[in-house]
Amino acid sequence: MLRHWYKASSRPSLPNISCQRPTDIPPVKKYDAIVVGAGPAGSSAAYFMAKQGMDVLLIERGPYPGVKNCGGSSIIAEHTHKLFPNFWEEFEYERIVTDQAYWWMTEDSILTARFQSMKLGAAPYNRLTVRRPKFYKWLADKAVVAGATLLLGHNVTQILFDGEQAVGVRVSQPNDGFFAADVIILADGANSLLAERAGFAQRVSPLDMALYVKETIALPPATIEERFNLLPGYGAVIGLIGYPTAGFNGTGSIHIYKDAININVGMAVNDFAKSGIKPYELLERIKKHPIIKPLLANGETIEYGGAMIPEGGYNAIPPLVHPGAMLIGDAASLVNGVHGYNLAMWSGYYAAQAAYAAKRARDFSIKRLSLYQTLLNDSFIMQDLKANAGAAALQRNIPYLFDLYSKMANEAAYHSTKVYTMPKRARRIFIYKKITSMQPPLRILADALRAIKVMI
Amino acid sequence: MGQFEDKINLLQFIPDENNQHIVIINEAECQKCTSKPCLTICPSVVFTWNNCDHHPVLVSYKQCIECGACRLICPLENIEFSFPNGGFGVIYHNG
Repeated sequence: MLRHWYKASSRPSLPNISCQRPTDIPPVKKYDAIVVGAGPAGSSAAYFMAKQGMDVLLIERGPYPGVKNCGGSSIIAEHTHKLFPNFWEEFEYERIVTDQAYWWMTEDSILTARFQSMKLGAAPYNRLTVRRPKFYKWLADKAVVAGATLLLGHNVTQILFDGEQAVGVRVSQPNDGFFAADVIILADGANSLLAERAGFAQRVSPLDMALYVKETIALPPATIEERFNLLPGYGAVIGLIGYPTAGFNGTGSIHIYKDAININVGMAVNDFAKSGIKPYELLERIKKHPIIKPLLANGETIEYGGAMIPEGGYNAIPPLVHPGAMLIGDAASLVNGVHGYNLAMWSGYYAAQAAYAAKRARDFSIKRLSLYQTLLNDSFIMQDLKANAGAAALQRNIPYLFDLYSKMANEAAYHSTKVYTMPKRARRIFIYKKITSMQPPLRILADALRAIKVMI
Repeated sequence: MGQFEDKINLLQFIPDENNQHIVIINEAECQKCTSKPCLTICPSVVFTWNNCDHHPVLVSYKQCIECGACRLICPLENIEFSFPNGGFGVIYHNG
């Protein structure tokens, strides 16, 4: 180990706003398009461009696709099927989700809304839980089979410009080199340093970014099926609200894999800072919850991790089209509630259409590439994001939204469940008083109206 | 702390001896910082307080899981975060 490896070294600190293409090092080859990041967005873009005969370079900083991101997840089959027909025959998903539930939690109770149906278990399915590396690798392989060149273990650090026009990328040590292309597509994820350095996007606000941590807990498949009441091969996705985020707005989730249970929990980066709660403490709290604990008993934690997810919604989306460049997926903040993968893949598809049109016209200006923006705007992506635009602000303006109302719902459920030795009418008044002692009726009404306004 | 060490020990890292990808820009600034959110927000406890004037914050960048939250939350914008060089850093196997 280096003796002073922890010491800060002095390096030029502020990101370069622009970088002109060095004239002394000529790029070896010019591609039609370079895609930075082999995640769901980037690999989709690369696949659809390569399929149309474009010469595509897909650059990934990890030694394999999918090893740099984590968090339990499920893909939405309908959307994925439209882009990649019968995709479920091609890669190893974890389980077919036939059980979707929400758990409103307090420290000792859980109130649930659960829907189980075998209708969700027939092809083309509704949701499938996936392990990211398998899913990402499959998608990147598709791009390669379609003709894209995949470059692993290369970290792109800068977009190169010729004037205003993006013309290439620079990769860091140990590879150290330049690649040139007519179109650069940024799919480098939630923390797009590239977009920021290139001046395409502002530094993301910690209010608009959520930090999630996850733990994957291995259990035998039969045990999982018994504990969660599932048939072999079928799985569940459970949203956890209230208790998991310790008084702040945020969410947890449980994704059931073949041989493991994945727990995620997270909230706004800003709330973590404000509360001083350490992210992994939230995980420990959930695992110790009296009703969750037996579900995980004898399980072995096999992986821990953390990642950021853009949660600013519609209002946090940066300008997506630039001369010779486009932003897609998480880098473009295209996440809507629990939907991320399908927005990522569709944005990759639309960007590919725009890149192809630009290639045919030999015109890589903003005007030509704006086809991407147009396709996005006309799609469910922007329409749904716009419809949900107030959600981020709502969570910010009502900081007790998830916690207090989960507690109230559980309190109401408790007193309704418990058999009291008092007449029914007296009990109703008692419950009403209990609930309104937690939040005055007018405040409940005001919050409800605000929430409804966002939802419709 | 035991709980955390158990967690971080589960992860696979390819450490880069030649490039520290997280750097405190000006260490003197950290002494002025009252909230020090980097000490609590980091899921892999990269930042620890050193009680030393010259190097107030230790940066254990080799255990970084590359979420990038530190850069966004530093109130003095005093953390320079970039991704590790190609092929280095954390490797997730289980999604």
